[in-house]
Amino acid sequence: MNTNLVDVRNVTKDFHNGRITVEALRGLDLAVHEGDFLAIVGPSGSGKTTLLNLIGALDVATSGDVLIFGQDLAALNRRERAELRLMSLGFVFQAYNLIPVLTALENVKFVLELQGVDGGRHERAMSTLEDLSLGELANRRPNEMSGGQQQRVAVARAIVSRPRLVLADEPTANLDSENSEALLRMMRGLRDKHGMTFVFSTHDPLVMAHATRVVTLLDGRVVSDEVKSAGTVTGSTN
Amino acid sequence: MRDVLLVKFAVRTLGRNPRRTLMSILGVGVGCGIVLYMIAFTRGSNEIRIRAISESGFGHARIAPAAWDKTRDSDLRLVDWERDLDTAAGMSDVRFTAPHSRTTALLAFGTRVAGVEMTGVDPDAEKNISRLVRVLSEGRYLEREDEGVVVIGTAIAERLDVELDDDLFVTIAGAGGEMKYAMLRIIGIISTGSRTIDSTICHVTLAEMERLTGYAGAGEITIVFRDPSNIDALTVRLSELLDGTDPVLSWKVVIPSQGGDMGSDTVFMNILVGVVIIVAVLGVASAQLTAILERKREFAVLIALGMKGGQIIRLILIEAVAMGVLGAVVGLAIGFPFIYPAATRGYNFADMMGGDFVTEGVLIDPIIYADMGMWLIPLAFAVALFSTLVAGLYPAWYAIRTNPTSALSLREA
Ligand SMILES: Nc1ncnc2c1ncn2[C@@H]1O[C@H](COP(=O)(O)OP(=O)(O)O)[C@@H](O)[C@H]1O
Ligand SMILES: [Mg+2]
Repeated sequence: MNTNLVDVRNVTKDFHNGRITVEALRGLDLAVHEGDFLAIVGPSGSGKTTLLNLIGALDVATSGDVLIFGQDLAALNRRERAELRLMSLGFVFQAYNLIPVLTALENVKFVLELQGVDGGRHERAMSTLEDLSLGELANRRPNEMSGGQQQRVAVARAIVSRPRLVLADEPTANLDSENSEALLRMMRGLRDKHGMTFVFSTHDPLVMAHATRVVTLLDGRVVSDEVKSAGTVTGSTN
Repeated sequence: MRDVLLVKFAVRTLGRNPRRTLMSILGVGVGCGIVLYMIAFTRGSNEIRIRAISESGFGHARIAPAAWDKTRDSDLRLVDWERDLDTAAGMSDVRFTAPHSRTTALLAFGTRVAGVEMTGVDPDAEKNISRLVRVLSEGRYLEREDEGVVVIGTAIAERLDVELDDDLFVTIAGAGGEMKYAMLRIIGIISTGSRTIDSTICHVTLAEMERLTGYAGAGEITIVFRDPSNIDALTVRLSELLDGTDPVLSWKVVIPSQGGDMGSDTVFMNILVGVVIIVAVLGVASAQLTAILERKREFAVLIALGMKGGQIIRLILIEAVAMGVLGAVVGLAIGFPFIYPAATRGYNFADMMGGDFVTEGVLIDPIIYADMGMWLIPLAFAVALFSTLVAGLYPAWYAIRTNPTSALSLREA
């Protein structure tokens, strides 16, 4: 029962913009399993980002439960949510991921510094970059890298501390197909090699092709949940 | 060092908008320079005021009879002046002591008369504490063994139309209330350069005063400390040593108007310093806030990654410290060219003060020098760092409230 990495149960999320209330999620259920390489798809405005924000402990649901590693997020305060993000989650954002004044290597090391890791930060960061064939970018600042390179360094930063779950919101939205392909291969490789779980949102059919599981949202609800290839057994929700 | 990257992050951030950073540093530097100058000047003028008071014979403090502060009665005498004198002279922080006794006297020569406050002195001690008694135009100052002689100021001599070796007819009210008379020979005439002061000086020996008035002992003991910057604390220490028999009053109590002037000068300076610092703080705070607003997405990403509020505050305050250090250096560079000539050549206020630089018997030097010293360096850093750190607080507080969800969505980009 509790082997689920993430349990989203009957979650709603409302946004209030002045007098208008937007119901971004309307009773959504989703279970993420260890080893999923899960694509969340759906038209713009269907609630993908909102859902990732809730799973990533960046925002709180209006009603329903969000459990991560069996831990109810509603029971955590701001600081505890920050601690959870820092120690157990990895993030790749759509753009502007990296700290502009730090080099690729320093960006990766920074996460370890924030975690309070004492020794071997340099070695760990460097070997993470090298494992992802990004060694030659180590001393470049973000403005000296292409968009695709920046996104790959962002993946390196997200996984340097081996989080159990990596969240990525439209990571390829600003990339051409070649760079998108490279990024997806890299993430898929990490999942296959280390058993890391990825949840990402996308519009991109190319990205969907790499997923082991595709969940489709429409108007804040899951309308389909299909397992594409072996790797994890999933119960379907509707 | 655990926070290497935090420091790099902060310092490199300052280079992102070099013009804005330089303007902020310059703003802090100018404010800091002005503050240094004002403090150097006020310290200098306070120091000169204290020296002028001391050298006019008032010392830094005096041991006075308990009732004196209220009544200002010159016929009051100390309970045990010799013990007081020994105690004070035995205190290592005391440089000079000089006992005085006073009475009101009427001087007459022929048909002319002049009312004065006559002072009984220990001649050797008096030469140590007062520069007024070192400037004689004729004759000599008193010696301890002198009897039947007096030293007066030139203005009195002119009023009475007397010369050296003339005998003055002196009338005073004695201890029993009866009138007492004596003849005193003029052995010295003092000319300080100030008519006001020269019309008040009338010195005899302590022993002479005792003979004339019938009041035994001294009416006060004037104290000069070794460290004029620490008068208040030393005054308290000395009164503790004296066990409260005779109280010790600092010059601020003895000449309240001078104390009040210095107090109001200092308050005025503190207000100006405060205003300058507030202006600098507001300037830097607004520049910092703009910088933080431009980095909103960056803070959202940092918070999303799990950076804690405390770490973000530290990041922004490290930026503030870096700016503060540079601001202090600029402040010293700006302040020095103004403070140096003010400390070496001084400002001559002679024209502003008019002819005679005397208030309440204090001969004031019309040239005021700023106080310059190594103390300016830590002060510069304190002022600049205080300004930039305070200026960083609101932007830091603002930054930690950034909503991390804005990092993922491009909504607010
Ligand atoms: N902060 C917000 N304030 C107001 N409305 C929001 C906010 N975030 C999302 N929404 C609304 O919620 C709905 C879902 O948005 P979102 O999760 O960003 O969709 P997607 O990522 O699938 O495009 C949209 O209608 C959007 O306008
Ligand atoms: Mg979205």
